[in-house]
Amino acid sequence: MNGKPEVWQGTLALMALKTLERTGSLHGYGIARQIERTSADLLSVNYGTLYPALLKLEQEGYITSEWGLSESNRKAKFYQLTRAGRKQIQKETQAWEQMTAIVACFLNPQEGLA
Amino acid sequence: MRKLRGWMMRLGGLFNRQHKHHELDDELESHLQMSIEDNLAAGMMPEEARRQALIQLGGIEATKESYKDQLGVPLLETFFQDIRFGARQLRKNPGFAAVAVLTLALGSGANTAIFSVVDAVLLRPLSYPDSGRLVVLSERGPDWSGGSLAYPNFTDWKNQQTVFEKFGTYIGNSFTFTGAGETLRLAGVMMSADVFAALRTQPEIGRVFGEDEDKPGAPPVAVISHALWQSQFGGQPGIANQTITLNGKSYTILGVMPVGFDFPYKADLWLPVGPIAPGWQNRDDHPGLLGLARLKPGVTLEQARANLDVIAVRLEQQYPESNKTRGVQIDRLLDQKVGNVRRALWILLGAVSFVLVIACANVANLLLARAAAREKEMALRAALGAGRWRITRQLLTESGLLSLIGAALGLLFAKGLLRVVVALAGDSLPRAAEISLDPRVLLFSGLVAVFTDVIFGLAPAWLASRPNLHGTLKEGGRGATSGRAGLRQGLVIAEVALTFVLLVGAGLLLLSFQRLLKVDAGFAADHVLTFRFNAPPDKYQTPEQQILFYHALLEKLRALPGVQAASVASQTTPLHEGGWDMRFVIEGQPEPPPQLQPSLQVHLITPDYFRTMGIPLRQGRDFTEQENREHLRGTAGNDWGAGLNSVIIDEEFAKRHWPNQNPIGQRIRIPWGEREKQPVITIVGIVGRVKENRLKDQGGLVQAYFPIYQQTLQNTVVVKTATDPVAMLSTLRQQVYQLDPAMPIFGMQTMDEVRNNSVAPERLNLGLIGGFAALAFVLAIIGLYGLLSFTVAQRQREIGIRMALGARRFDVLRLVVGQGMRLILAGVVIGLLASFALTRVLASVLFQVAPTDPLTFATVTLTLGAVALLACYVPARRATRVDPMVALRFE
Repeated sequence: MNGKPEVWQGTLALMALKTLERTGSLHGYGIARQIERTSADLLSVNYGTLYPALLKLEQEGYITSEWGLSESNRKAKFYQLTRAGRKQIQKETQAWEQMTAIVACFLNPQEGLA
Repeated sequence: MRKLRGWMMRLGGLFNRQHKHHELDDELESHLQMSIEDNLAAGMMPEEARRQALIQLGGIEATKESYKDQLGVPLLETFFQDIRFGARQLRKNPGFAAVAVLTLALGSGANTAIFSVVDAVLLRPLSYPDSGRLVVLSERGPDWSGGSLAYPNFTDWKNQQTVFEKFGTYIGNSFTFTGAGETLRLAGVMMSADVFAALRTQPEIGRVFGEDEDKPGAPPVAVISHALWQSQFGGQPGIANQTITLNGKSYTILGVMPVGFDFPYKADLWLPVGPIAPGWQNRDDHPGLLGLARLKPGVTLEQARANLDVIAVRLEQQYPESNKTRGVQIDRLLDQKVGNVRRALWILLGAVSFVLVIACANVANLLLARAAAREKEMALRAALGAGRWRITRQLLTESGLLSLIGAALGLLFAKGLLRVVVALAGDSLPRAAEISLDPRVLLFSGLVAVFTDVIFGLAPAWLASRPNLHGTLKEGGRGATSGRAGLRQGLVIAEVALTFVLLVGAGLLLLSFQRLLKVDAGFAADHVLTFRFNAPPDKYQTPEQQILFYHALLEKLRALPGVQAASVASQTTPLHEGGWDMRFVIEGQPEPPPQLQPSLQVHLITPDYFRTMGIPLRQGRDFTEQENREHLRGTAGNDWGAGLNSVIIDEEFAKRHWPNQNPIGQRIRIPWGEREKQPVITIVGIVGRVKENRLKDQGGLVQAYFPIYQQTLQNTVVVKTATDPVAMLSTLRQQVYQLDPAMPIFGMQTMDEVRNNSVAPERLNLGLIGGFAALAFVLAIIGLYGLLSFTVAQRQREIGIRMALGARRFDVLRLVVGQGMRLILAGVVIGLLASFALTRVLASVLFQVAPTDPLTFATVTLTLGAVALLACYVPARRATRVDPMVALRFE
């Protein structure tokens, strides 16, 4: 697209959850913007994958949605974390940290795992 | 869990998707608006703000698609869509649908029915726990097997063997039961307590007998069947410890066996054998005992055989007089029960699977023809972006729909066919009661449906899914089917070949059956009625009493108007399973050692038996009443054969032992007991030979007839009538009743019925394979006809051009018929070769017909060829009627 790396498949869900944890209730556009902003605009979110990903999270019960009004008084669908969603963040975060640690080992072999 | 929830939601999403789609539209719209606002806020011009927002959002349609996929289950949705579409297609072509479904129903129904027979009879284990380890033991010689055990041999085997966990012996016996009012004959089995222990079947009420009751002198006890408990004791729960009177003696009922317990056959009661065993101490005496054992865990059948063989060799050395060349035969219980029908059933299953393949080929041909008609539709689908797999899937769903409906309808057909099979088989099919359309069979039927779908659906679907886009769309949907013609022709050739094999098989069976029916059984079956009775031993204790009863009965019967002759026979009437044989030596010839002495088949009769049964007297004379009485006097000492003076032998006896002499007046001796007491008997007559057990019998023992003189509890009354014997049944029954109301009579059968029943297995084989062959024949002819009609329709234009260019009608006829005949010829040649290879499996079920009988092969070739030619001729004639102008203008 505009030269920015796209969000990896699979990490988008975690980013969306994490964003909702920080902001509370938010609409799809807001979530996308937040992710981009958090990455200091280094990442770009593919909206074509964002909405199906949100739907999947909702089907799995990690988030709920309801229609409300945006700050500009526009009708928008707001997403909110559920208790299961919070637990999932912890789990995913751990898994992610472990993963990055392992990858780090390969990138810097002399350091090894702590 | 969460994943599962996700899937449940997606399944749920299949239903309110319309609403969800609107939501997504709204959501995307608000997303776009917010994005535009942000862009405006960032200072863009309205036009540019909108453009950038749209670019950033990306392909809206693609987003909607992937959202839609996440919302539901795409595979499932298109599946439902395919089914709906398929059903619509079938409704649009009811003729095609009906033919296809009916063909498949016949194919899968016939297969389901035969499979359920094979499954129930051959595949499913017997109902005893761990029944695979149950074996039956019998004695065998150099050229025979399945013989009865001598009781002393049984005890020696039992004590010396190390391979069985339990080993008992059993023997069938019938009892006269005197209940409330009526007298019945009950089928009983006398057996060791170890037989129950080996079988491990628990009684439903009470207990079975144990070692203590299975001894000489033990108080009489019995275990009864569920059916007897219901019919004679009203199913009362307190049945245990009640008594039952059998042969005038009182037995304590210990328990009731559950429904379906049928060892060794459907019996009414089971009694310990131990109390009567002391009567069998002679090692030469083979009273009809067989052995039943349960292999120890880990012991194979081969190990058991090796173990018992060693013991048998030891006994041979120890008792050469009686045991020379006597070995042990061990078979699995299941094999013993169903071994004689195994081959016939597998042949049936093979034959019926041919029918299924032919049915599939026919439907595949129908589908190919239809695929040609739908070529344009497929090309359009492909042009609009449908992948090859997607089109194949849609067509497979359509054909799957056909095979499912076919299979469901087939189940109904199977149910009807099963009824016919069981009725036709009669007693000749073991375990027939266990046959049912149970879940296993339904599963099989389902698998057959899938199999047929793949077989007849896949090839057409795969071919149809690769349309020649450019050509087809341009040509407007005609022609361009040559790629499929090869497959279609191949299918028809295969059908003809398979049909040929089936027809040859049926032809051989038919010829064999005809020859079997023509066999001279040695007696005149018409207007002869037989029935049996038990003279209860408590009432007819002495032979004198019995003989008096027979005399009185025969006199009464003979006095009846319409009765031409009447007599009594014991042990064996013709075509009757079982029998009694004994060794003999010819007086005046050197006496061979016991193991080389010939045996004769024993028949005990009253005078006039030969006239009643229509057995021709070749030479000499019949017995006289006087002789009967003499024998009677001789039996006072109860030594077998004492007082026996005369015997009548069959032709074979005369031919084998006195080839160049007149046997009348010659004497034979029965080598039983002490030499001085052995009966020496003079031959007084020669009669025709009868078929002892089956019409197929060849060779066998020589036959000898003796006067009835000793207590033989089971006797058969034979009556020759002037009119329909069945109509006289109640009159005859009355005569017995007048003499002794407590005398149970049973087993009423005309000799015609006996003869018919004796060929029941052959009739069943012929009926089914003949039926399948006929079905295959019809299907193959329809297939051939269908293919040629289709070709003619497709080549109409070509034929029109040929005719316009001067081809005569005859040329056109030759063109089409020639095409058909090439297919038939190829099919017949392949079928001929296959038949030569395959009919060999029939050899064991054929009678006096070679598996390669040239007459059958020739007849089948001609018949198939002639009918197939007719099937070619009809479409060919239609082709000659093509009007060249119409055909050309059609373009």
